[in-house]
Parts: sequence; C-alpha cells; structure tokens
Amino acid sequence: MTPFAADLRPARFWTDAPAYAALTLVVGLTALPVLAALVLDARQFQAEPVWLKPLKFHIALVIFTGTLAFYARFMPEAARQTAFWRWHVRAVVVSVIAELLWVGAAAMAGTASHFNTSAVWAAVYPLMGVLAITLTSGALLMGVAIRKAALPAGFRLSLVLGLVLTFALTVVTAGAMAGMPGHFVGVPVTGAVLPVLGWSREVGDLRVAHFFATHALHGLPLVGWLMPARTGPVWLAAGLYCAAVAGLFLQALSGIAVI
Amino acid sequence: MTPETLFALSGPVAMLGWLALLASPLAPRAAQMLAAVIVPLVLSVAYAGLILSHWTDAEGGFGSLTEVAKLFANPWLLLAGWLHYLAFDLFVGAWIVRRARAEGISHGFVLPCLVLTFLFGPAGFMLFSILRFSLTRAKG
Repeated sequence: MTPFAADLRPARFWTDAPAYAALTLVVGLTALPVLAALVLDARQFQAEPVWLKPLKFHIALVIFTGTLAFYARFMPEAARQTAFWRWHVRAVVVSVIAELLWVGAAAMAGTASHFNTSAVWAAVYPLMGVLAITLTSGALLMGVAIRKAALPAGFRLSLVLGLVLTFALTVVTAGAMAGMPGHFVGVPVTGAVLPVLGWSREVGDLRVAHFFATHALHGLPLVGWLMPARTGPVWLAAGLYCAAVAGLFLQALSGIAVI
Repeated sequence: MTPETLFALSGPVAMLGWLALLASPLAPRAAQMLAAVIVPLVLSVAYAGLILSHWTDAEGGFGSLTEVAKLFANPWLLLAGWLHYLAFDLFVGAWIVRRARAEGISHGFVLPCLVLTFLFGPAGFMLFSILRFSLTRAKG
C-alpha cells in the first residue's frame, strides 16, 4: 500500500483558489476579537458563554474554507478559469461572512441564532438556511469539477465522493435538524457534555451526525490517498461512511447520547 | 457658545469628510484633501482651543479610570474627547483609503472598513488590517 504522491506544495494553497485562501485567513483572524469577547463577556446562553458558539463557527469555517482552498489544486486548471466558478466562489464567500455575522449578532444580543422563535430572528432564519446551503455547495461544485481531473482513479473518486457527500449529507442532517425545535432530543438534566465538541452525554444530540456529515471531505480522501489505484475500497468506505452518519442521526433521533 | 452648540456643529463637519471617503473613487485627491487635511485640522483647531481654555478648570487626570471619568464629567473636556475621536477616526479612514488604492484593494472591501471605523474606530482599523493582510497573502 503506497500512498499517492499528491502535489502538496504549501504555496499552491494561496494561488489555486485565492478567494477561499483569503477567506480562510479572514475567518481565522476575526476569531481573535471573538476570543477576546469570550474572555470579557460574562453572559451565558443555555448554560454556555454566549461567545462560545461564534468561536466554534469561526474554527469550523476556517477548516472548511481552508480545505477547499487546499483541494482546489486537484481541480482541472480549466475548471478554475470559468466565469461560473468565480461567481460561485463569490457566493460562497458572501454566505460564509453572512453566516458569521448572523451568529455573532445573536451572541451580541445574547439570544439564539438557531431555533429562535421571536419575530425578527425567525423571519431571517429561512434566509440563513439558503446561505448555509450555498456555503456547503462550495464542496459540491469542487467535487463535480474534480471528476474530470487527471488523477489516479481511486484518489480522484475519494475526493469527488468526499466533497459531494459533505454537501449531500450535511444538507440532509442539518436541514432535518433545522426543522426541529432544537439540537437536543430529550431534556438534559446534569448538562454533561463531551469536552471541546460540547455534545450531550445524556440525550440525543443531532449535531453529531452534522459533524461527521460535514467531515466526509476529510475522511474519504484519506482512504483514496492510501489506496490511490482502486475504486472498490473507496466505494466501500463511502457506503460505510453514509451508514455511520445515518446511524448517528437515528441514534440522536431516538434520544440516545453518542457515548 | 455652549458645548452643545459645538457638538452639533462637529457632527456634520466630520460627516463631510466621511462622505468624501465613501465617494473617493470619483475624486481621490479631493477626498484626501478633505478627509486627511481640512476636516481633521478644523477639528484639531477646535480641540486645541478647548484644551487651552478649559484644561485648567477640570478635575481628574489620566492616572486611573476614576480620574479619567472625572475629567470627562466636565462637558467642555467631554466635547474635546469627542472631537479627538472624530478627528483621528477620520484621519485613519483617509489612511485606509490611501493604503487600499496604493495596494490595489478594491473599494468594495474598503466600504465596510470605513463604516466600522466611523462607528467603532479601532474595530474598523482592525478589519482593514485583516483584509489587507489576507488579500495580499492570497493572490491568484
């Protein structure tokens, strides 16, 4: 088993999809004032500091946009030159920024960004759903473009499936979660959560499936990188990954904690 | 002349500079003349006049937050502090516009920085610094 000798030159991170690279820096650096607010703001929302959620969003989106900026090297050169691609990237950038402004504004107001039923926030919620789908479609379009890339079949398929499944599984899991009253299934009593991730250890937590759905673009390419020549193992891994996400989602729906 | 009259005058004067910066792509040199020179200097003259005439009758100082609060309990020095904000925020706004032009950063990125500098000075300066660094680092 020889891993694929992919082009991993760090310099290409800045040049292949410069808008995603710049966005990654902006989202990362603007996490600093959010961190300062986390230290300075004593307010709590649902037993957590109000600025914890915006900080998590900054970290998650740095990883997402940074991954897209990195994977852009695997797209065929021509696919990165089309007007459609450039406009789509702009739409993704705007969606990421709007999402962060929305979550930050909710923290400033000390209220809920998601599942908020009060007039103004509830009115904006569907729009934020559209923006969330737009930002996730950054993975979808890159996956579709990589289908035609000159790469070993297994490695290429793992990138395509990872990116496309990140979109598909995230839209299904996060979309279903958005239609429910909250991310918990059940009522926590002790408030016990997993460190860092913050998932409930008492009741069903729908964010677990969302997390793994969105990380398909990291998990599957690892398989294709290790076994670049064959597509069979990648299909198998993709099938297992989907089953695992579905399992985690059903587990949370039945009110069972992840561990 | 009351502090309220001067305060009411200072807003529109500063606003003139900010509007020039927002529209600066139309007339870059005139905008700089207004926002980096004329308006900040007019505000600076008023500021210096306030310090000369009212510094000695104020209590407090810069040594502790309580002293600063005492200083600003005097409406003339509170007004001076406000003019300080207006003059320097505008000056920083004009600097942002100059840097962006020199480094080829489009005015679309500058606009939110100007709005933020106008409302919350240092936050706008920080946003521009982040955008400037990020856009320079990532080049296609």
